[in-house]
Amino acid sequence: METHDTAAALSAALKGRSRTRVLGLTFDDVVRYFFGGNAAVAVVVLLLILVFLLKEGAGFFEMNASNLNVYRRAGLEYVDLMRRPLDQFAILTRGINDARLARFKALLASGKDVEAANEALKDFDAFADEFGAAAGDARGIVSDLTEVVSAVKVRAQVSADKELEREMLLHAGRKDEAAAVKVDVVDFAREIKVLVEASTGWKAAAGAFESAIRKSTAKAHGAAWAKGDFLLSSTLDKSDIFLKGLPEVEKQMAAWRFDEPVPLHRSFTAFLFGREWLTASFWQDWYGLLPLLSGSLLVSVIAMLFAVPLAISAAIYVSEVATPKEKAVIKPYIEFISAIPSVVLGFFGVAVLGTALRSLSEVSWLQWVPGFPMSERLNALTAGLLLALAAIPTIFSLAEDALTNVPKHFKEASFALGATRFQTLVRVLVPAALSGIISAVLLGFGRVIGETMVVLLCAGNRIAIPDFTQGLGAFFQPVHTMTGIIAQEMGEVAQGSIHYRALFMVGIFLFLISLVINYIAQKVVRRYRISIG
Amino acid sequence: MNMQTHPFTKPQTSAVRAERVAFAFFRGATYVVLLAATIIFGVIFIKGADTVFTRHFPFVNVAFLTEAPETLHVFEHDGQKHELGDRAFRAYMEEKKNPTVSEENYVYSAGGIFPCIIGTFFLVVGSMAIALFVGISAAVFLNEYSKGGRVVEFLRLAILNLAGVPSIVFGLFGFGLFVLFAPVLGPTPDPSHLYLPLGFAYLNFSGWGVSLLSGWFTLAFMVLPVVITASEESLKAVPKGFREGSLALGATRWEAIRTNVLPYAMPGILTSSILGIARVAGETAPIMFTAAYVVSDRLPWQVDRFVDVFFQGVMALPYHIYVVSSKIPQNAYTERVQFGTAFVFLALVLCIALSSVILRGRLRARYKW
Repeated sequence: METHDTAAALSAALKGRSRTRVLGLTFDDVVRYFFGGNAAVAVVVLLLILVFLLKEGAGFFEMNASNLNVYRRAGLEYVDLMRRPLDQFAILTRGINDARLARFKALLASGKDVEAANEALKDFDAFADEFGAAAGDARGIVSDLTEVVSAVKVRAQVSADKELEREMLLHAGRKDEAAAVKVDVVDFAREIKVLVEASTGWKAAAGAFESAIRKSTAKAHGAAWAKGDFLLSSTLDKSDIFLKGLPEVEKQMAAWRFDEPVPLHRSFTAFLFGREWLTASFWQDWYGLLPLLSGSLLVSVIAMLFAVPLAISAAIYVSEVATPKEKAVIKPYIEFISAIPSVVLGFFGVAVLGTALRSLSEVSWLQWVPGFPMSERLNALTAGLLLALAAIPTIFSLAEDALTNVPKHFKEASFALGATRFQTLVRVLVPAALSGIISAVLLGFGRVIGETMVVLLCAGNRIAIPDFTQGLGAFFQPVHTMTGIIAQEMGEVAQGSIHYRALFMVGIFLFLISLVINYIAQKVVRRYRISIG
Repeated sequence: MNMQTHPFTKPQTSAVRAERVAFAFFRGATYVVLLAATIIFGVIFIKGADTVFTRHFPFVNVAFLTEAPETLHVFEHDGQKHELGDRAFRAYMEEKKNPTVSEENYVYSAGGIFPCIIGTFFLVVGSMAIALFVGISAAVFLNEYSKGGRVVEFLRLAILNLAGVPSIVFGLFGFGLFVLFAPVLGPTPDPSHLYLPLGFAYLNFSGWGVSLLSGWFTLAFMVLPVVITASEESLKAVPKGFREGSLALGATRWEAIRTNVLPYAMPGILTSSILGIARVAGETAPIMFTAAYVVSDRLPWQVDRFVDVFFQGVMALPYHIYVVSSKIPQNAYTERVQFGTAFVFLALVLCIALSSVILRGRLRARYKW
C-alpha cells in the first residue's frame, strides 16, 4: 500500500504536473475516450444500418401475411387454383403450334409450296383445332369469377383503409369524426358462397375439359400422321402428365377453405422463395425474392467469369513477368480503372456497349452461339461485362499484393532446383498466395453483387427468373437485380406501404449477403494461410 | 549461320515452351483489360469533347459549364432548322409573334450542367469534412492509443465489414435514418413524430428530408473505412522514435501525438484520402434518395435563411448522368448533353485520382526516415 503511494507520488513528481480532473478524468483521458468513441463509429454505423433497415422493413412480414390472407379470403387463391390447369393447357397448345410450324417449315424446305404443305398437314390441323377447343366453358367461368373475386378484394381493401382512418382519428382524439367514418365490413363467408355455387358449374366444365383433351390426344397417339414428330410426341407426353395432375388440382380445390388463416411463416417463405415480384397489379401483388436474386447472381457470375481470369492473369503478369517499366504503367492504370464511377460505366453500356454487342450478335458467322442474335440491347451480358471491369481493379490489387507478399526465398529455392519461372509460379507462388487470391475473388464478388448503377442502367430490368433451359442463351436475357429494384422503385413507392417495406427487406438481404461474403473472405485468409516466414 | 550452341542458352524443353505460351496469355489478358478501359476513356473523351470544347476562342464551351440544364426545342421555321434552349426558344417565339411550328422537345438537352457541378462540389466538401474528422480520430485511436485485444479486433472487423456494405444499402440506411428520423430543433413539438422536450425547445425526430445534410452523413459513413485505412497507414509511417522522443521529454501522449505525429502524418493522410474524394464524388446510389434532386432551379446559396443551405437537396453530376442516360431517349440531340456530362464528370474524377497518385509519389520521395 505504502509503496504504491510512493510510486504514485514519484510518478506525479516526475511528470511535474498537477492534473485537473473532471468527473475523475484527466484531459488526456478525455482525449483518449474521444478518439476511441470515433473509432467505435464503425460499429455504431453497422448497428444503425441494421436497426434502421429493420425499422422500415420489419413490418413487411405482417403486412405480407395480411396480403396473403386477403388473397385467400376473397377467393383469389381459389380462382388461381382453377386457372392453373388452364395456364398449363395454354402452354401445351403453344407446344402443338410450335410442332406444326416446324413441320410446315420442313415441308417447305423439302420443295413443297404453301398449299401443298397445308394440305399435307390437314390431319394435324384437325387435331390441333380439336385440342385447342378443349378448354370450352372452363375459361369463361374462370374469367367471370376473376371479376367477382377482384371486386370482393377491392371492397376488402377499401374497408381496411377506412378502418385505418378511423383508428387514426380515434388516436388523434377526434371521436365524432371517427364515428362518422363508415366501415363497410366485408362478409367473406357470404361472398365466398358465389364461388362455391359457381364451382358446381366449374366441375362440369372441368370434366368436359378433361375428357375433350383425352379424346383428342387418344386420336393423335399412334396415328400415322403423328409418327416421327418429336415435338408433337413430347407435347403429347406432357399432356398425359398434365392429365394425371388434374385430380390433384381437384383435391386441392376441395380441401381449400377460405377461413383457414395463412400461417405467418408462409409470409416469410413467400418472400424468400417467391418466384414472382409483381407490384401494382390489379389481381394480386407478389413480393418474391427469387427473380431478383437469380438476376443478381446471373449478372455476377457472368462478371466473375470475365473478371477472375483477366484480373488474376494481370496480377501474375505484373508481379512476376512484367518489366519494371511496364509495371510502372500498368499498375496505376488498373488502379485508375477503379476510379471510373459506376454510373459512367452504366452510361457507356447504354450509349455504346449495348448496341455494339447486339450488332456483333447479328453477324452471320456467329449464329451458332445459343441466344444469338440478342433480342434485347440491354441484358445480363452487357451488365456483366461492365461489372467485370468494375471488379477487375479490386481483384487485381488484392491478388497482386498476395503474390508480392510471398517471401523471396520461396522463389529462389524453386529456381535453385532448376524450375522454370512458370513452374515456380504454378507450383510455389500461386499455392502460397492462394488464400489471398481466393479472398480477393470473394471481395470482388461482393463488389459486383452490391453494384447498383451498372445493373440499373444496363441489365434490361425485366423482372423474371432467367430461362435457364436455354443454356448459354440465358446470358443474353434481360434481368432485374436486387440492387437495381431498390434504386428503381424506391423513389415511386408510398412510404410505409407493403411495397416500400419489401424494398427494405431486399436491402436487409443484401446487407446480410455482404456481411457473409466479408466474413468468409476473412476466414479464408486466416485459415488457409501457409505459414510464410 | 553456323552458331555454336552456347552452354548457357536455355534448352528448348517442353517446360520452356509452356512457359512462353502461359506468359503470352498473361500478357494478353493484361492488355485486354487495359484496352477495354482505354476504349471507354477514348469513346467518352472523344464524343464528350465535341460538347465541352469549341473550335473557336475560347475553345471551351463556357455555356455548357456555367448554365443550368434546359429543355431543347427542335423545330423548323422559315425553312430553317432551329435548335434552341428554353429561354432562347421563348424569345424567338416572341420576336416572330408566336408562329405555329411543329417542334420536338428533349428535356435537359440544352443549357449546361453548372448546378450539378456545384452540387457535387458541396456534397464532396461536406461529406469529406465529416469523414476526415471521424476517420482521422478513429485512426489515431487505433494506431496510437489502443493496445490490441478483443475490442480493437472487433473494431477492425467492423471497419472491414463497413467497407463491404453495398452503396445502395447506405442509400436505404441514409433514407431511413437521416431523411426520415434525424432530429431537428424546433420551437414547438411535432405531434406526428417522436419528440423530446429540451426545456428551451423541442427536438423533433422528423428527419432532415432530402437534403445536403442527409447526403453528407450518408456519404461520410460510406467513405469512412477508406479514410481510416489511409490515415492509419500514414500514422504507421511516422517513426516510433518521434513519439518516444517527445514522451521522454515529458509530453503527455496527446501532446506527443499533436506535436510530433500528426504534423508529419497529415500530408500523407490528406493525399491518401483524395481517393476517398473520388469515391464520394462518383457514387450515385447513396444520394439517390438522400440528397439528389432531378432538377432544382436554385443554386445552393440562393436561400432565404442561412440554415436552409443544409436542408435543401442539390443536383449532382452522377445523378444527372443517370437521369439523362435513362429518362430521355437516345438520339443525336440528347447525345451531346449525355456525353458532355460524362466527359466532365469522368475528367473531374480522374483528375482527383491522378492528383492523389502524383502527390503520393512526391510525398514518398520527400519523407524518408
